[in-house]
Parts: sequence; structure tokens; C-alpha cells
Amino acid sequence: MSSWLDYTINGLIVGNVYALVAVGLALIFGVSRLINFAQGSIYLVGAYIGWVAVVQLHTPLPLTIIVVALAAALVGLIIERFGLRPLQNSVRIAPLLATIGISFVLDQLVMLTFSPNPRALPSQLPDVRFQIGGGTIGPLDLLIAGVGLTSALLLFAFLRYSKLGWAVRATAQDRDAAMQMGVDVNRVNQAVFGIAAALGGVSGLLVGMYYNQIDTAMSLQATLKGVVAEVVGGAGNVPGAVIGSLLLGLVESYGVAVFGTSYRNLFAFLLLVVVLVLRPNGLFASARQAPPEPLTGTFIAPSRPVRIPRWALLVVLGVFAILPLLPVSLYVLQTLINAWLLGMLALSLTLVAGTIGQVSLGHAALLAIGAYTSALLSLNFSVPVGLAIIGGGLTSAALGTALISPSFRLRGHYVSIATLAIGEIVSLVILNWEGVTRGPIGVSGIPPLSLFGYELISPTSIYWFSFAVMVVLALLQARLLGSHLGRSFRAIRDDDVAARAYGLSLNRYKSLAFIFGGFAAGISGGIAAHLYSYINHETFNTQQSILALTVVILGGLGNVVGAVVGSVALVGLPEVFRIAAEYRILIYGIVLLLLVRFRPQGLLGTI
Amino acid sequence: MSNIDRRTLVKGSLAAMMAGAAMSRGAFAQSSEPILIGVSGPLTGPNAQYGTQWKQGFDLALDEILGAGGINGRRLAYSFEDSQSDPRQSVAIAQKFVSDPRIVMELGDFSSTASMAASPIYQRGGLVQFGFTNSHPDFTKGGDFMWSTSVSQADEQPLLAQYAVRRLGLKKLAVLHLNTDWGRTSRDYFVKAAKEYGAEVAVTEGYIAEERDFRSTLVRVRDANPDGLILISYYSDGALIARQARQVGLKQTICAASSVYSPKFIELGGDAVEDVHLGTRYFPEDPRPEVQKFIAGFKKKYNGQEPDAFNAYAYDAMNMAAAMVKIGGTDRRAIRDAFTKVKDVSSVIFGKATFDVESRRVKGAMNAELVVRKGQFALWDGKPT
Repeated sequence: MSSWLDYTINGLIVGNVYALVAVGLALIFGVSRLINFAQGSIYLVGAYIGWVAVVQLHTPLPLTIIVVALAAALVGLIIERFGLRPLQNSVRIAPLLATIGISFVLDQLVMLTFSPNPRALPSQLPDVRFQIGGGTIGPLDLLIAGVGLTSALLLFAFLRYSKLGWAVRATAQDRDAAMQMGVDVNRVNQAVFGIAAALGGVSGLLVGMYYNQIDTAMSLQATLKGVVAEVVGGAGNVPGAVIGSLLLGLVESYGVAVFGTSYRNLFAFLLLVVVLVLRPNGLFASARQAPPEPLTGTFIAPSRPVRIPRWALLVVLGVFAILPLLPVSLYVLQTLINAWLLGMLALSLTLVAGTIGQVSLGHAALLAIGAYTSALLSLNFSVPVGLAIIGGGLTSAALGTALISPSFRLRGHYVSIATLAIGEIVSLVILNWEGVTRGPIGVSGIPPLSLFGYELISPTSIYWFSFAVMVVLALLQARLLGSHLGRSFRAIRDDDVAARAYGLSLNRYKSLAFIFGGFAAGISGGIAAHLYSYINHETFNTQQSILALTVVILGGLGNVVGAVVGSVALVGLPEVFRIAAEYRILIYGIVLLLLVRFRPQGLLGTI
Repeated sequence: MSNIDRRTLVKGSLAAMMAGAAMSRGAFAQSSEPILIGVSGPLTGPNAQYGTQWKQGFDLALDEILGAGGINGRRLAYSFEDSQSDPRQSVAIAQKFVSDPRIVMELGDFSSTASMAASPIYQRGGLVQFGFTNSHPDFTKGGDFMWSTSVSQADEQPLLAQYAVRRLGLKKLAVLHLNTDWGRTSRDYFVKAAKEYGAEVAVTEGYIAEERDFRSTLVRVRDANPDGLILISYYSDGALIARQARQVGLKQTICAASSVYSPKFIELGGDAVEDVHLGTRYFPEDPRPEVQKFIAGFKKKYNGQEPDAFNAYAYDAMNMAAAMVKIGGTDRRAIRDAFTKVKDVSSVIFGKATFDVESRRVKGAMNAELVVRKGQFALWDGKPT
């Protein structure tokens, strides 16, 4: 059928677009073993610099491309020098958080400079269309394909045949050994970031022209699709990234063909999970290649946790417990309710990510499962709210663990990416499974919180309820960490080979951690559902997962008190910065970067 | 100064600090404190563009209200809190507004995710939540403090169906809609009405807001062999779909919901949106005096920029709020009751707006049938395209 030819061509065309971002990500991952979450922001910066060049300065296309490449490369160099280089000797996870902070800052700067309104970025190529199958392609399609393929080939040749390329690969394989051999590692990193950023900027420009539209929300989507494509192709493998992108485009296109448009991203993320489960190093990783992640626990470095005296904890606890009796505004209480709800999520994530080392980027999915279960139980089956919330916690524990179990054999960054995908899948299933979740309409009229027949509707009672639940969960978790089980968890995190040799079953312990963590997160989601009275598939989104991870890293991985402190800080700071209106997220990003810079092991340290 | 929202204050004070000038904050205070309306909406995050459009509409309305002597001699102003359309932040803002005795009523939030999560707090706190863009059918069911002037899709979609089926004579339709509560509700009303008018709906495709590539979706549309495409979209995604439809060689008539009505639709869509039909609530040559006043005032204030649908919603909402304060004064309950009393408030969207006390919404939006001709929105002259 001719339609299939069209679907194939369309898949390749959009894969082509993904490839531009994926190649840059692959290059950086190849050298620094870092998923650069700021790549999408550089892409955004490139698009807007391109807009200035084209619309304001009327530069011809070749000049536009050169200008954008140089400017983006400069941004990349600045990021490398001031954002990442100071972190090179700290915890492996700190640079990841730094790139998230940098992307906040860059996106906000662009938004403040250019306003969030979308803009037209006219293509400077002649508007000729060539008929292929039932559709057409234009010169921009060819240019994008050309840039993607050429850059991949050039990079491949550069890495394989040039001296600097050798240095890059040597650095990638063993940074310390490369340094001993006289490789200037910093120069290598600079070169890589410059090239990757130039590529990212140009891709933003070309994609903006392709759609004749640029806006400040394009950065996260670009990063997400780029990461998927890159990992499918084999993280760090430049030609693999191109093929991974084309494959991703094809799978999406066929997904639309068979099931319809609203299933499109579902297929993208399913592809990712399947590839990761079958070939954890990506489709095109060669067998000889050194394992992409260290075998033992350098991903999360041990540090000396800050010891807080018991009496101090009790005093703080007491102050928060009697806070509603003091003359504080209800707004402060409401903000703290949000902090306690985030705290439960952070407790869950700090156990999973910090204690057992499975850094999850899809944790909001657990909230969503808990929230939907609790909401639907109380609405459809008239289950009392208290029981429904516990039901939400249990379902989240069971379903979450089952969903995440395929990623148990993965390590380091791959766990993060797999969980990111699983999080997206859960959100898309909620959107599409209309019979149960009511699809895009969402669930409204969820009954308010109540316990034993008493409705908790005043902010004060909700405050006490959520605070008590969080404290109980925190105490349970602290007890768990001190037990034999907690020590086994940490053994797996620090050295899974040694742990296995010692007779620990990795999957069983990982499951246990996710069951406990899933329960806490599910409870948090359940309470939120009854608090909001309305939830839909966007209530618990990727940003929420990223926020949770930020809290956990900020507080100190595995640190129970740290998770709570981090939650209060990250819920509180944006509220405190309200006085700065549009600038508040920018300030928030900068504060985050400073914290990562000066406390990479977290405020209270890893336990 | 047209209002004292925080950004202005901060900018003002920053400028003052930097210049080292002894600019006293007293300069901002007027003889009497302004009547304050809380706004919860996105100024950052993915929906930030709509928040900035709101501000333009609000500021224009406030200028006019001040020009007319304010409300009983007092100035009307708003305090805009950025929610990023995030329910976690909109509930905190709701509690903030409810606890702040200066706030007399609230406008927003933008998305139903954020608005409806905050509704219980407004309802219990006894502060009107005036969600002027909240079309979710359950929004006003949150309680008797929830009111909306968002055009009901039960009203709008049959008008669009009438335009597409009766007036343009389309018989077999492909519907592309945003897969959100708004898009989904709209689609259902549209499909129902289109069928009643005798058209066949060959295919409906829901897409997520972040989607940019529609080529494969358009192959599905092409295979369904429709004679018209219906876009239930906002202007940015609507422009993308129109462009890609023309690029892949689909030449069918395109008919779009009023939410694409924005100069940006033409800027982003270029030649591809030529001959796109759309139903709107007002248009530039509309002879109604309130529309002419709005457009002229907007262009004057914003350097010749054409207002769009979201500017108009915000402008109307602020005027409506002023009408409520005129009747209800500064008492929150009295303002709630004012919604049931107010009659025939001059409105760009409705002409004359009166609330239906039962549904707490306004019925009877104006309707104009437009088409894009030579890069301009023009009243459709009845000629087929």
C-alpha cells in the first residue's frame, strides 16, 4: 500500500530532525558519560539567535548558520567552564543536576529576553517541493539530513583519525590514564562541548525554520526525544545516534499509522524500554566496547553525612507540629502542605535512588498511580477516603515495582533513562485509557480528605494530617536504613558485584526498595488527589519527577532528613522568590547551580 | 502606572537602587489604596505566552477604567501570581489570596489542571474564582464561588459545525483536536452537531500539546478521504497543521475553531493558512462599538499590535470584574452575589454578557464567520474557496 511508503518517508523525515539533537548528546555522553539536559536549551538558544540573525539582521543562510554555530559553541564553552568543570572531581551525579539547573537558567533567559510568545522563523531556502510517494519533501528536509549525516560522519572520522579525536576517546575510556599520558583533559572537554553545542544550536535553527515556529517550550521536548534516540542507538555512539533517531521516527510514524495520533509518544518510549531491556548498551554498541558505566559505585560517591543531634531534630519536629497554633498565615501552611507531600515523594526517591542506587527520573508516575487509584476507588466504589489512599499506596507499590522491574538489570544513567520512559508511558496510558481514567477530561469531583468520618478540609487539619503521614513514613524509613536490610541496600549500591558474591539477590532487594518507595509515593499522590479534587494526566508530569530528583540530590542521597529539608527548600524557594515575578525561576535555577557547585554531595550528605 | 503588579514594583525598585536615586516607594502609593484583584496564571513555564497575553488585556481594561474615574473614586489593580499552570503552585496562590483581606476576587488559572485543583480552597475561603478561560464542563460545578465567561463549547462547536457543513457545504470531515479536556469536549460537541447537520465524520485524531510533526497524522487524514479538515487547535499548533497539510499536498478546505484567531496564526502559518475558515467572536471590521474601542485602544497601547482571542478574553474578564466590584463593593460575598445580579455588561466576546445563574456561565457568544484572505482575517463573503 502506498500509505506505508508515506509513513516510512515521514518517519525518516522526523527521525532526521531528532538526529540533530541526538548526535550532540551522543558526543557529550561519549566523552563525559553525562546526559546533558542542557542540550535542548542550547538548541533553544540557537533557534532564537537564528531568529535575530534572519529577521533582524537579514543574514543569508550560510552566514546565519555560521553565526548560530559560533554563538552556540560559545554558550557550550561557558557551560563547560563554569557549570561543569568545577564539578569534575565531585560525585558523578552532580554534573547531571548541574545540567538541569543550567537548562532552567538558559530557558528562562531566552524567555525573559524574547517573551514567551511563539515566533515565526522563516526558511531562507527556496520553497520547492519534490513529490515522493503521496507526499512531498522540500530543500530543508535535504539540508537537515545533510547536516545530520555530515556531522555524524565528520565526528566519526574526527574521533577515529585525528589526534584530538584520539585524545577524546582516550579520555572517554579512562580519564585518569589519559591525563597520565599527557592528554589535556580539559581541552578535550572544551572541544567536545563546543562542537556539541554548535551542533545543538544549528539544529535549533534548522528545526525552527522547518516548522516556521520557535517558542520557549521547545527545549524539554527536544531533549526528551534526543535522549531516547541517542540511547536507542547506543549512548555515546555518534553514528548509532543517527540510526537510533531514524528508528525512533519510524516507530512513531508506524505507531500513528496503526493506532492513531494520540499513541505516538507511547511507541517512542516503549521502543526505548524494549531496547534497553534487550540490549542495555543500545543497538549499536560493539561487544568489545568497555562497559559504559563503572561496575562499582562511583556513580554515587560516599560522603560524610552531617550529623544532626537528636534533640535538635526533636525541637524542629516540635516546632513544625505546633506551627498551626502559632500566628502564621494559612498561605505558609498551604506551602508547607505542598512541601510535606513532596517530602513523601522525596523519601520514596531517596530510598530508591540514594540507598539502593537506582536513580529514577520517572517517579511522578508513582504519584499518578496512587492518585488515580485513590480517586477512582473513592468515586466509583465509594471506598472511604482513608482506605482509598492506602489502596493508592499499595497499588502504586505493586504496579510501580512491576513496571520498573525490567530496568533492574540496568546501571547508572540507563536506569534514569528507562524510568524516565516508564514515567512517560504511565502518563500516556492515563491519557489514552479512557474507559478507566476518563482520558483527557480528567477525574473531577474527588471527595475531600476524611478520616473515620471526619472531613479534613481546614488547612490546619490537612497540615497536621500530611505532616503526620510524612513523619511516620520518615521514621519507618530511618528504621529501615539502620536495619540489616538497609545495609544490604547500600551494599548493592556501593558494589553490586561484591554484594552478589556475598549472596544478595539484587532483584529481590531492588523490588523491596521499590515496594516501600512506591507505597510512600502512592500515599502522597492519593492525598494530593483528594486535596485538589481534580486530577488529569498532566497533574503529575515529568517536571515533577525532575523536581523530586533535585530534592533528593540537594538533600543528600539516601538521607531521610535531607529529603525533607530539600522538599521544604525547593517548595519554599520559588514561593519566597514570588516577589521577583517572572524572574523567580531564573533565580531558582541560579540558586540550584550554586548549591550543586558548593555542596555536590547534598546539604546533609549521602548516607 | 496602570497597576501595581509585583513585576512593576520590582522593576521600579531595582531601577531605583541601580540609579542610586532616592526614589521613594511612596511614589507608588495613591491617595487611597486600590481595590485589588488576584490573578493566578502562568508567567513562566510552558503556558507562559498566555499569561503575557492576559496581562495586555488586563492592563488595557484597567487604563480605561481608571480613565473613567476608577470605581467609586478608587483605583482597580491586580496582583498577578505566577502559577506555571502547576496545580501545586495554584493551590498555594489560592490560599495566599484567600488569606489576603485586600483581595476582593480572583481571576484564573489558565489550565483546568491548575484551576480546578485550587477551586476547593476558593470555595471554602469564600472568594470568587472567576475562571475566564476554563471551559472544562465541571469547572463551575466546583461550587457557587466558581464563575466563568469562557465560551461554552456546547455553544461554540455547533456554530463551527454550521459554518463547515451548512455554509461551506462540507460533507465528509476529518477532525484534528488537541487531546486536552478542552479539545476533547469540543470535539464531542462538534461531531454531534456536524452529524445533526448531515455530515459524516470520517476520522478524528487527538494530538498532545507538544506535538510538532503532523505528517503521519495527515496521511491518516488523507486516507480517510475527507472534503474538509476541522482544526480544534490553538494558533501555534493550528498553524503547524495547516502548513504541513499544504506541504504534503492536502488541498481540502480547512475550518478552525475560534482559538486560532490571532495575528500569530497568520505569522506562523504564512501562505499555508490562506483560505482557512474560522468562526470567531469578534473581528477587526466588526461594527460593534465595544469591539472598535477594544481594537483601537489595544493598537494604541501596544504599538499597532493586533489583539487576539486571549487578549480579548482577559480584557472582557477585567471589565466584568470591574462591573462586579461596582455592584458588590469590596465584600467578597457581595461580589459573589453581584454575579447573579449583573446584567448586560458590555463585552467583546458576548456583546452584552449576563450570567446564567444555574450554570454560572454566560450564554450566547457572538459569532462571525471569517476567512484568511491575502494574509488578513476578513469576513467571509460566501464565495467558495
